[in-house]
Amino acid sequence: MTAGSAPSAPASAAAAASEDAAWAARLAARDPEALRAMIAAHAGKLHRVAYRMTGDAQEAEDIVQEALLRLWDNAPGIAALRLGGWLQRVVTNLAIDRLRRARRLSSGEVPEREDEAPRADALIEAGERDGLARALVLALPERQRAAIVLTYFEELPNAEAAEAMEMNIKAFESLLHRARAGLRQAFAAQGGAL
Amino acid sequence: MSVNEQPDPGAPVAPGSPLARALDGYVPPRLSADFADRVLAAAEVRPASLPALRRPVRGWRGWRTGQRIAVGIASFGALATAAAATGLLQQLDLPVLSAGTVWANITGTAAAAPAAVPKVAPAVSVPAAPVTPTPVEIVGAIDTPEELGEAFRRIDAVRSGRREERRAVIDQRIASEIERRRAAGLRVPTPEEEARIRDRIETAHARRQQAIDARIGQRREEMQRKVESGEALTREDIVRPLREDARNLQRIEALRRLPPTERREALRRLPPEERRALIEAWRAGRAARQGTQAPTAEPAPDALPADPTPAPQPSSEQ
Repeated sequence: MTAGSAPSAPASAAAAASEDAAWAARLAARDPEALRAMIAAHAGKLHRVAYRMTGDAQEAEDIVQEALLRLWDNAPGIAALRLGGWLQRVVTNLAIDRLRRARRLSSGEVPEREDEAPRADALIEAGERDGLARALVLALPERQRAAIVLTYFEELPNAEAAEAMEMNIKAFESLLHRARAGLRQAFAAQGGAL
Repeated sequence: MSVNEQPDPGAPVAPGSPLARALDGYVPPRLSADFADRVLAAAEVRPASLPALRRPVRGWRGWRTGQRIAVGIASFGALATAAAATGLLQQLDLPVLSAGTVWANITGTAAAAPAAVPKVAPAVSVPAAPVTPTPVEIVGAIDTPEELGEAFRRIDAVRSGRREERRAVIDQRIASEIERRRAAGLRVPTPEEEARIRDRIETAHARRQQAIDARIGQRREEMQRKVESGEALTREDIVRPLREDARNLQRIEALRRLPPTERREALRRLPPEERRALIEAWRAGRAARQGTQAPTAEPAPDALPADPTPAPQPSSEQ
């Protein structure tokens, strides 16, 4: 392979941006085939993220559908953005919002400060229902859960994960550090060997 | 790493570690088979997004600001023009410069003087309308019968002019009323009827004039006696009785419009001197109308008639 024949990183990024702009233009023109193509390209990954954050397959599908419909509605305004990253950010935010809303509805009040510690009852309940791994993830607070899902399961670089969560990289790394610590603490509580 | 060093709890999860093996068991299910169709169906019924309410700000902010300033200046100019055209600025004592003055101020040149318009006396082609005679000016004291006679002569000249003026106004009103009725298709008086109307008016006018002359005659006799006795009369001595007569006449008219009981009560409430003067004025007027001497006894407060013949109007006769 020669150096001239291999596409450079900036060149491939520019090609991807151009491709996204073309798709956005077709979406803005209300082309259903373009939306079908977007579903085929991104829905699987988005659904994995939503499911691992909510633990509910149906709710995960609802979140992904809402994100894709927002793309359909807002395509004229997001032509200059990377569509995959935009969808990732929307799904992450929608999942966090739904988790918070569910927590408020179940507790009946808004906590003054987010509880960073793993919730033992959720841990036990989820563990009995779906197994240890799911219970460990779902026991984390919403944002820590999102950080683990994006970086561990989806293997996103920290920078992209921070962008998906609309955080600066330092704050994200701090959040990720606390998420891993909480995960290990919960795993140890379940009798697991680190 | 030393033996005693604690592992970092926030370190990345190492592949193959027990924690990693546990997390790897969290496998998501597959998407529903009809997921894409559901999304497409929902997108199909979704209304198209509305266009942006405003144009992008970038590049337009300056023009919008300028547009508002231009609209404001135009509105102010329209209002100022309307105010100047309606004369409002002159009423508020604000100077309004003409275009020539403004141009002269800008260019530094003096405004061209307007061309002199020769004054041409208007041709007297139609007889001038009767105008109210100028009142007689009484300057200084009157202390001789000759001066008093000259004053009376001037006053009589003014009165004569006013009588002619009134007569002309009456003729004009009669003629215009006949013309109006004729134009409206109404019945107009015959020459005999018109003559009767004029005769009635003339009779009423003469009667009124006679009463006025009698009242004025009394006043003049009093003034002549004063002058012959060596007393000097001023303008105020001549005018004040006329003013008092006018004021008393107004009061008498107001009292006549009252019901008898209220009129009696109003007279009783007046100070004795004013009440006496009022009754005396009424009595003098009645005597002048009847050509008799006024009685000296003070009548009862309710002696004023409710609808007597109008008293003389000294204010218009000097």
